[in-house]
Amino acid sequence: MNMNSTLRSLLRALWPLLLAAQAVSVSAAPPADADPAPAPATAPPPANAATGMASSPSNDAAAGTRALDEQIQGLKKDVVDLNKDLFVLEEELLFPANTQVAVFVSVDVGDFFALDSVTLKIDNHDVSNYLYTPREVSALLKGGVQRLYVGNLKAGQHELVALFNGKGPHDRDYRRAANIRFEKGVGAKYLELKITDHQRAQQPEFEIKDWE
Amino acid sequence: MMVILIGATAALAATSAPNGLIGRPAPDFVLPAVAGSNVRLSEFRGQPVMISFWSSRCSVCAAQLTAMDRYYGTYRSAGLIVLGVSVEDDPQRAIDYAQAHAASFPLLLDKAKSVGRAFGIERLPTTVLIDRSGQVRFLHSDDRPGDPSYVAQIRALLDDRPERSDR
Repeated sequence: MNMNSTLRSLLRALWPLLLAAQAVSVSAAPPADADPAPAPATAPPPANAATGMASSPSNDAAAGTRALDEQIQGLKKDVVDLNKDLFVLEEELLFPANTQVAVFVSVDVGDFFALDSVTLKIDNHDVSNYLYTPREVSALLKGGVQRLYVGNLKAGQHELVALFNGKGPHDRDYRRAANIRFEKGVGAKYLELKITDHQRAQQPEFEIKDWE
Repeated sequence: MMVILIGATAALAATSAPNGLIGRPAPDFVLPAVAGSNVRLSEFRGQPVMISFWSSRCSVCAAQLTAMDRYYGTYRSAGLIVLGVSVEDDPQRAIDYAQAHAASFPLLLDKAKSVGRAFGIERLPTTVLIDRSGQVRFLHSDDRPGDPSYVAQIRALLDDRPERSDR
């Protein structure tokens, strides 16, 4: 846990430095219109010279604004890319593949169960207690898959228990549990909590799938 | 003299401690409602949000909830979101109290008091006003439910005008 917090603080400390470096590199880069290469002797005359019109200050200002906009957009894209890279780096550092365990939630149909919360226990320790808003449930019903938990486990046998709370058939409070014993090997382990409808029994079904 | 000193200390504690949140992003939370579904604060991004922390043990909280209900009735059509967060030890008391003071806005249960801690709540009632970008703009930890500054601040948030708080 200490290592995790150290890594987090290191990444947080690095973030402004990386941003500053990005800003410096952008400001140090020559502007697009300041091309140092000399124009060839046979270079065509500028368009406004060909048309015989002088460049107006408003046109220059518009061009300047456009160039600045492009620079800002480029900078934003770089920041987003950097953020993505940092996120991936953080994930790799905090949850290395050899110890990583991730639990996902998916809902199919959902006519017989309205999800309210999921409590997750691994080896009898509470690791997650997630409350769902109607918007999140709606996203799951549209086919979304939520990563409910990501953590580290050592190799060996483990038990996962998921407690589902919500409204069942006839709008009754419904509480069900599902469990799975799984073997954590060398690679990352992915488990999926699947909530489906059992049409014949008119009941929801809770299943935990082990993605090999 | 002693009374003045104690009063001044209490006033200082009431105004200085929560000010750390003003101008900073409001801590996100998801809480179960007394009636209805769970509520997550970040889902209201883009709308001004007014949160009142209350408890049935607090004598002025009822007046505060009534005032909040009035603000909600007036400004909900303009996009104002009002949430009441109970920091009650016994959730059943909060549910009974909420049912007795039928409020038209969602009343949420903070059983673990984690949200109260995240907002640094030291007194009840405390009212927090959050702007459209999710930043805390105003924080009242006093017992003046009918204070006209609430209306001015709600209107400022709805108009999205920056207005500095002196509290």
